[in-house]
Amino acid sequence: MPLQALRTVAKPQNGVGAFILQCKRLDFHYCDWAGSSRGMKYAAKHRQPPHLSMQTLYLLISSRSTSSFLKHNLSAFAAANPSIEISVSPRPGKHPVIRGSYVNGREKAICVRNLEPTEVVKKAEILKSANGEKLRIERKVVKSLNESVRGVWSPFHGREYRI
Amino acid sequence: MKRIRLDRWATQLQPPRNPRLHLQRCPFSSETRAPRRELQQRQDQIQHQWQHQRRHATTRRKLSSTAEVLGEDASGAPIPPGTLQDGELAASPPPPLYAPSHRRAAQSAKLSALHARLSLPSKLPLQTLARCLIDPSADPRTGYNNAPFAVLGQDLLGYYTSEYLMCHYPRLPMPVLFAAQYAYVGNATLGAMRAEWGVEVVAAPGMEVDPGLLQLKRTVPGNAMMDGETRQLKEMPQAKRLGSGRRNEEHGYRRGMSSRIVFDDQFGDLQSGLPPADARPYPGAAISSPAEDSVEAGSEQQQDALGPVTTPPSQLQTPEETHAITVEAGSASFIRALTGALYLHAGSAASKSFHRDHVLSRQLPLHTLFHFTHPTRDLSRLCDREGFEPPVARLISETGRLSRTPVFVVGVYSGDDKLGEGAGSSLNEGRVRAAAAALRSWYLYSPPDTDVVLPSEVEGAAGTGRAKKQWKPQMVDYGEIVT
Repeated sequence: MPLQALRTVAKPQNGVGAFILQCKRLDFHYCDWAGSSRGMKYAAKHRQPPHLSMQTLYLLISSRSTSSFLKHNLSAFAAANPSIEISVSPRPGKHPVIRGSYVNGREKAICVRNLEPTEVVKKAEILKSANGEKLRIERKVVKSLNESVRGVWSPFHGREYRI
Repeated sequence: MKRIRLDRWATQLQPPRNPRLHLQRCPFSSETRAPRRELQQRQDQIQHQWQHQRRHATTRRKLSSTAEVLGEDASGAPIPPGTLQDGELAASPPPPLYAPSHRRAAQSAKLSALHARLSLPSKLPLQTLARCLIDPSADPRTGYNNAPFAVLGQDLLGYYTSEYLMCHYPRLPMPVLFAAQYAYVGNATLGAMRAEWGVEVVAAPGMEVDPGLLQLKRTVPGNAMMDGETRQLKEMPQAKRLGSGRRNEEHGYRRGMSSRIVFDDQFGDLQSGLPPADARPYPGAAISSPAEDSVEAGSEQQQDALGPVTTPPSQLQTPEETHAITVEAGSASFIRALTGALYLHAGSAASKSFHRDHVLSRQLPLHTLFHFTHPTRDLSRLCDREGFEPPVARLISETGRLSRTPVFVVGVYSGDDKLGEGAGSSLNEGRVRAAAAALRSWYLYSPPDTDVVLPSEVEGAAGTGRAKKQWKPQMVDYGEIVT
């Protein structure tokens, strides 16, 4: 055979064409009894979302759970990130935790004990924008699949060095 | 030749066109700008509308077997036949389900997340996406699995990839073209793509699993032990052989490139599903009668032949009879089905942009696919054919000739023009590498982007409107080098 071919697989470049968000699932766990889940479930600070009706506002003011992450911020967070599968479930007797699952199969968890709802939102954003890899110091920040444009220096091309 | 109207063919996915309905199109589709949070509500509403219409429409028109609509209640459990209101439908019991009902598609968070993660258009309903995730090994009925979509999608992906390769690299030889096609849309790549999309695979298919999981009957790994044996499965002789679909296959003729182009699939591999030449047909097969003088000989051969009796796929009705497949094959059928479903629901422009975003965005260095056996011979034949001066190898520079690590940089010249250059640790190696580099530069020629017009940009629905490009005749190469 004069010419044969070698089979390989084309390498993915996430973002060049379509962008796939690496965080595919977020689990929110809380505890009904413990006080560390207050920011997740309850909060002391009162917030007035403008789109709620007066009846809903009255119900909110009358109960202690005025503004909490699960009640107010989660639905907006889920609507803003439709590609993440979100589940909420109680974990009695434990601190509240957000657990993220990623496309590379790894999981990351952040304990949100004693945090305010806005801080819980920030932790959720951290998990959303992560890619599941282990945290490491990147020594070479520029990575590319293409070879160098100007070429690597070689002693056999170019001006010879003569003494 | 008339243009194939795929929107007519796709009526099995759509209800009968009823002028009383507010929407004059597929009830599962919605406006392109519908907000995602209203999508599911709208889908449920329209689905209920269509179901009420269809109750009265079954006698008028025989629809092909789509997913089960009337045999269950909202939770997905089958309704006992006695409780059905409609007298016409009480006669037939609801067909069994081997995969989650399509009603659960709108309630699955995994499925909606997948739909959004891939930025699929809202014209593609969640129910169809759920059906694309059901492999024929999980449910062999073609009205319930992704096989019809996969057939269409495989052709679409192959068409878009091959036209891209042929128009951008007109001189690619056939083996490399097959390998590049496999690298872009082959089974291995599609299996990796499914994992990159975050689509998980079930351990075993069933009605209770989440609709957002890929359902297939998984084959036993090769390093598992055979029952009652001390050897592993992969060391046992394979009972199933593939047929090649060629005449005189039993004589074992060489499968050359031209033969692969005519008989094999888009990657140059044997077509799946063809029985080998010595297989006995299933009972009741419509066999074309051989010539009269060889009838007796043919019948004797059929009785004496020892081979597997093939079962037609239409006779399989339960997952217990289907063959188990690998996760890679199931992933490939899912992605092909998704492309086909996108074409049917959202049009050719959507499927083309899907291919561009997910397939063509991948990086494939074509120069790594070449494997030469005699590059110097091929190069001299090429120069002779093209009318160039015969190639001559000259030493450009060298070092360490008598040492342990010499380096010779050799260039191949045709007259005064350097065709290629290569470095090696011997003079011969440098010469051969230089010839290989020259051949690669010939084969990987690419016309300027302004001269490249793909056929799909001109023909079909993608070409209509003001975005239609003007056709320019594309470069067709003289052919491969004959040695």
